[in-house]
Amino acid sequence: MIDVRDVSRVYRRGVDQVHALEHVTLHIPAGRFVALMGPSGSGKSTLLNLLAGLDRPDTGEVVVAGQALAGLDEDGLAAWRARHVGLVFQFYNLLPVLTAVENVELPLLLTGLGRSERRRRAEIALAAVGLAERADHRPQQLSGGEQQRVAIARAIVTDPDLLVADEPTGDLDARSAVEILTLLRELNRAFEKTVVMVTHDPRAERFVDQVMRLDKGVLVDGGSA
Amino acid sequence: MPLPLRYNVRNVLVRRWTSVFTAGGIALVVAVTMLLAALVGGLKHMLVATGEPENLIVLRKGSTNDGSSFLPREAAQVVRQLAGVARAPDGEPLASAEIVNQPFLRTREGRRENVLVRGVEPVALLVHRSVHLVAGRMFRPNLGEVVIGTGIAARYADARLGSRLEFGRRTWTVVGIFDSGGTAFDSEIWADVTDVQDDTRRPGYSGIRLTVAPGADRDALVRRIEADGRFTLEAKPERAYYREQADSANALYVLVLTLAAVMATGATFGAVNTMYAAVAGRTPEIGTLRAIGFGRTAILLGFLTESLLLAAGGLAAGLVLAALAMLAVNTLLSGIAFSMMTFSVATVLLRPTAAGTLLAAGFALVIGVLGGLAPAWRAAHLRVVDALHRA
Amino acid sequence: MTYPRLILRNLWRHPLRTVLTTLSIALSIFLVCAVLTLPGALEAVFAHWSSDVRITVHHKAGLTYWLPYAFLAKMRNLPHVAAVNHYSWFGGVYDEPKNMFPNFAVDPETVAQMWPDYGIDPAALERFRKIRNAALVGEQTMAKFGWRIGQEITLKGTVFPVDLTLRIVGVIPAASGNPVVLWFNYRYLSEAMEPRFGTALAGPTGVVGMIWLRADSPAHVGEIMRTVDALFRNSEAEVAAETEKSFIQSFTSTFEGLIRVVLAVGFLVVLAVVLIAANTSAMGVRERLPEIAVLKSLGFRRRPILAVLLAESTLQGLVGGVLGSAAAWVILGALNRAGRTAGGAFLGPLGSFHMSAGVAAEGVAVALVVGVVAGAVPAWNGARLNVVDALRRLF
Repeated sequence: MIDVRDVSRVYRRGVDQVHALEHVTLHIPAGRFVALMGPSGSGKSTLLNLLAGLDRPDTGEVVVAGQALAGLDEDGLAAWRARHVGLVFQFYNLLPVLTAVENVELPLLLTGLGRSERRRRAEIALAAVGLAERADHRPQQLSGGEQQRVAIARAIVTDPDLLVADEPTGDLDARSAVEILTLLRELNRAFEKTVVMVTHDPRAERFVDQVMRLDKGVLVDGGSA
Repeated sequence: MPLPLRYNVRNVLVRRWTSVFTAGGIALVVAVTMLLAALVGGLKHMLVATGEPENLIVLRKGSTNDGSSFLPREAAQVVRQLAGVARAPDGEPLASAEIVNQPFLRTREGRRENVLVRGVEPVALLVHRSVHLVAGRMFRPNLGEVVIGTGIAARYADARLGSRLEFGRRTWTVVGIFDSGGTAFDSEIWADVTDVQDDTRRPGYSGIRLTVAPGADRDALVRRIEADGRFTLEAKPERAYYREQADSANALYVLVLTLAAVMATGATFGAVNTMYAAVAGRTPEIGTLRAIGFGRTAILLGFLTESLLLAAGGLAAGLVLAALAMLAVNTLLSGIAFSMMTFSVATVLLRPTAAGTLLAAGFALVIGVLGGLAPAWRAAHLRVVDALHRA
Repeated sequence: MTYPRLILRNLWRHPLRTVLTTLSIALSIFLVCAVLTLPGALEAVFAHWSSDVRITVHHKAGLTYWLPYAFLAKMRNLPHVAAVNHYSWFGGVYDEPKNMFPNFAVDPETVAQMWPDYGIDPAALERFRKIRNAALVGEQTMAKFGWRIGQEITLKGTVFPVDLTLRIVGVIPAASGNPVVLWFNYRYLSEAMEPRFGTALAGPTGVVGMIWLRADSPAHVGEIMRTVDALFRNSEAEVAAETEKSFIQSFTSTFEGLIRVVLAVGFLVVLAVVLIAANTSAMGVRERLPEIAVLKSLGFRRRPILAVLLAESTLQGLVGGVLGSAAAWVILGALNRAGRTAGGAFLGPLGSFHMSAGVAAEGVAVALVVGVVAGAVPAWNGARLNVVDALRRLF
């Protein structure tokens, strides 16, 4: 499903050059729940950005669900992301001016669907994460865990091939963190969604199929299923 | 313990564009206020300064200005000889009988305007003491010679020393240029009174200007002039006459004030927005300051100071802008052309006024205070715990 | 959930900020409307004084020079001249010197033919011809002094050494575009002046101020003007003939200085509000950079994001513009009505703003431009945000 071949990424920070990724090669089959772990600055988030089509490698290639991302321009990547990838971040996921269900509806604005159809799908997605009764609440009225669940609902509402999460439990207390990890696990199992999650959270290992570790931009442990 | 001024200054400078835009809005309010006040100031100066304190103006009763008044020749002869009229060392009465006319003159751009031509006798230079020849000489009678004010020289292409001007029924020669210190006469052409009478076919005068003899009873002279049953005359001090003309400029002052006040309100709203955003953006910082030990008053004063710093910056920029604009208008455009009550055109130079400057500074101050007050209050009354939690 | 809803919600994120900015725009547009009424008011004056068949003939040297009365007879005989009348400025004062208004002596016989578009009551015109000291008064002057038809008033002469008692026999409607003027019979002035001058003004050796001609059709106007200029070229009084419109426009050069100042002020006002609105826009975008990053990561492209951000500031401008224009309409209209009443004279220039629908539309248009210009740079910066950099900075 996901093929990363000999990918390197260097970026500039001030006058320094940071080698975020060095000749990384990996393969993730469909339907797998993978955790990307490693110390700070190891390149996990950079790799995640490449898989999600948010960034391009300097060398090597990334192929996701048969699509070679190098062949897409900026607009093409955006369109591809909208259709094929669901994203969950650590914070700032939700627009504070929209309600929960409206936030979930957001990616559907990029499809050609009509208003009532969009609303229907958003409600389904919200129900799938167990927050149907909080549909009309604003993010400020939701707990941290609930906000992340809404973010996950938004990530799956377009029925993407790949779900990408960058430290989804980083800002949560213990109980909420477990709830989120459980939810992701369930979505992975029930809908066979490929999930790639960057995390520091040691608890995550219990929930995933495979752990890959990075250190200083190099894949040090490809992990096993 | 108050917050150090350096902290406030640094904060204002760090938010560069926001500070520039907000101060810019204030600067424009300041500039507009000053420029409009300068316009009114120039107008008033021109009108009020024109009056000599010891002079009287004699017109037909009921006339509002010497452009629409008529006195017969005999009236001038009588008034000249009245007791109380000052005399020159050689015994000549300091009474100038004048006739005012508004012929067409063509401007640099080929447009046709009314210009004010005053037919006078040489004694006019003694009666109108503010008028001085700065180039050439005074005209000689019956030769179609004229002297022109500096405003005329600036406004009309052909108005130069030695050039010939066409107006009325004939051609005239410019033999001199006079300056009157920014009064209304600068926009006039002075010609020999007989020449103008011939040109307009009017056998009389528009009015008489005379100087009251030192020590003489001015009111008695006025009564003597007005009491003469042969003519219907009215005499009043020049100062009073011009002040009445200047009163029409007062309405402009009201307009200026209204305009500037409305602008200032808009700028205040802008300042409020800026300061509220500043408070919101620095909430954790405020929490930290409070936790360290700075009291509510210190925080309040601190934000108020930042708002005032913005206003001060706006004031300075606005003053510079206004000064540059005034300079540009006065030198490049030779002032603003205005239509006077005498249906002729005069150019008004912008003159900054103390009142205008104070008004502008006052606006800046009010904007700074009002703009910063509510946000500063909010900043000072943040709950420390809440503020730190958001960090 | 739709794009418009997103735009509205974003505007209402900080209600106070949006309200204050919108009010700033509204205030500025109010001023802009007030400023724009000035040239518009002059345009309106021209629109009324734009008869395409009336011609003015004045002395080439200026309006203060008299034309020989004998010229009138010569003009009546010119081909294509349908009617002849004249204007002589009396400059009389009613009661107090500051109650100055334009008053002219005219020929009552041909008023109806010369100014049929003024809509003066024919019965009043009849009385004007019959009664020696009759006067027709503009509607606004009637209201200002509270005069009635049939009333006798006295005008004190200023350039003419006579006082005249006139009887008001009719009104010149405000719709004529000449609502202030007073007309009376030139012969009445001539009779009053005869003892002083020894000769009749309205006679073969007399003089008259300005002459009006009416062409039988617009096509002949040019020809008449050329004929008149040529006819008197080397006479004792060279004349200049111009159309009514051109004559009125020659007066505006005196207002140009004032108008330039007023327009400059208006421009500065607009500039100030652009600065204020741009500041607000920039603040709003800056605060929302994380959200914009998320939107871009979801797949929203530059253009929709740019459109949303720009729409916010434009909508704000539009609302402010409508509010400001509406306020100007109401307030200036009220001032205008108050200025026309008897007690309204004290308002001075404040009472003479007349705002047209065109100015209201211009005000709204300016507000729209303000909204777009103010929001453009922040919106562009927001849309141009590099997602990866933003995400890296934020997380």
